[in-house]
Amino acid sequence: MKKFILQIVILVGIFFLTLFLSRKVNWMKLFQIDKITKSTEEKLGDLIWESYSSGATEITSYKIINTVDSIINKICKANDIDTSTIKIHVIEKDEINAFALPGNHLAIYSGLIKDCENADELAGVISHEIAHIQKNHVMKKLVKEIGMGALISLTTGNGNAGKAGEIIRMLSSSSYDRKLESEADITGVDYLMKAKINPEGLAQFLFRMATTEKDMPKAIYWISTHPESEERGKDIMARIRVSKKQFFKKSSNQEWNLIKKELDKE
Amino acid sequence: MQINSFSYTPSEHELEKASNSYLMSLVALIAGMPLPIINLIATFFFYVGNRKGTYFVRWHCIQALLSQLSLLFMNSFGFWWTVSIMFGTETISNKYLAYIITVFFFNIIELIATIYTAIKVRKGEHISWWFYGDITQFICKP
Repeated sequence: MKKFILQIVILVGIFFLTLFLSRKVNWMKLFQIDKITKSTEEKLGDLIWESYSSGATEITSYKIINTVDSIINKICKANDIDTSTIKIHVIEKDEINAFALPGNHLAIYSGLIKDCENADELAGVISHEIAHIQKNHVMKKLVKEIGMGALISLTTGNGNAGKAGEIIRMLSSSSYDRKLESEADITGVDYLMKAKINPEGLAQFLFRMATTEKDMPKAIYWISTHPESEERGKDIMARIRVSKKQFFKKSSNQEWNLIKKELDKE
Repeated sequence: MQINSFSYTPSEHELEKASNSYLMSLVALIAGMPLPIINLIATFFFYVGNRKGTYFVRWHCIQALLSQLSLLFMNSFGFWWTVSIMFGTETISNKYLAYIITVFFFNIIELIATIYTAIKVRKGEHISWWFYGDITQFICKP
């Protein structure tokens, strides 16, 4: 019996040793899995965006697009993010909402821009969404909710057309889990600080939303998809205090009001 | 793996049946490729069909069955991991690929050993595998 036990131990040992050695190899790189996943995400993103954009009006005003672009450029440049990979879309819609889609598409509703009191608040929301993109939260959420098989079949044309609409509804009107939201908040704040943008804007936006939430709950989609805003605002302020980089110049309200006026014209 | 002498000289008919017990697992492995349990079930039924057979046939049926059993655990885990990636919340990771490659490596070794044993047994040689042969010797009595 002792011999059998020893043989079992040796056999199991050989298996785990092989597994251990196998794990030392970067198979993901060897099989270019990341590249394949990225290409699936790109295809999926374009497919979803195509489906969504057919029923949406994109704002083309130079002033507004330029303002949003300059915020994104500033954040991306300071954080070594390739700006050209982020596809920004400003949508004419009164809902206070912004969301990331697969393939680095970032949709911002005009309602959210109008509601921001200054450029710092908008930069806060944008940096939070960029963090979701950079941390791959979008695909993580989709894989969790729908499954990789269904996503691949959608990109290969085997999925039903309604699936794209379902994905948009899911990404624009349901929340990420708390862990991913906190990660996006913290990363977003770090992005802002590196870009020398006042990160208190994001916290202020969350605090304001938390107080007005009760009055008009249906219009504030960004808050309903990003719950526990007050607590998160406090976490953000704590992060700013810890970083000891709290002295940022606040953006000009006068300039921001001109942007809002431009939006009203649209 | 070693060639041992058996307690008696098996007849031609016995050699064929014993060799078939290994081939059974191979045929079933190809037929039910994605389901790791199919080859085990096939080998088990082959054993049940021959449990009243001669000592030599029973011995090799049991060795074939036991060798399939240990692979079942490895393959099942890999199979359900793959299912959870395809239809569940898991994502492809280096951990997953390393596991699948390890399991594939063990399956290949077992496949080669099975083909080799089936050929040798058919030629009348009594092949006893390391560990599996010892357990078979312990379980299977004349």
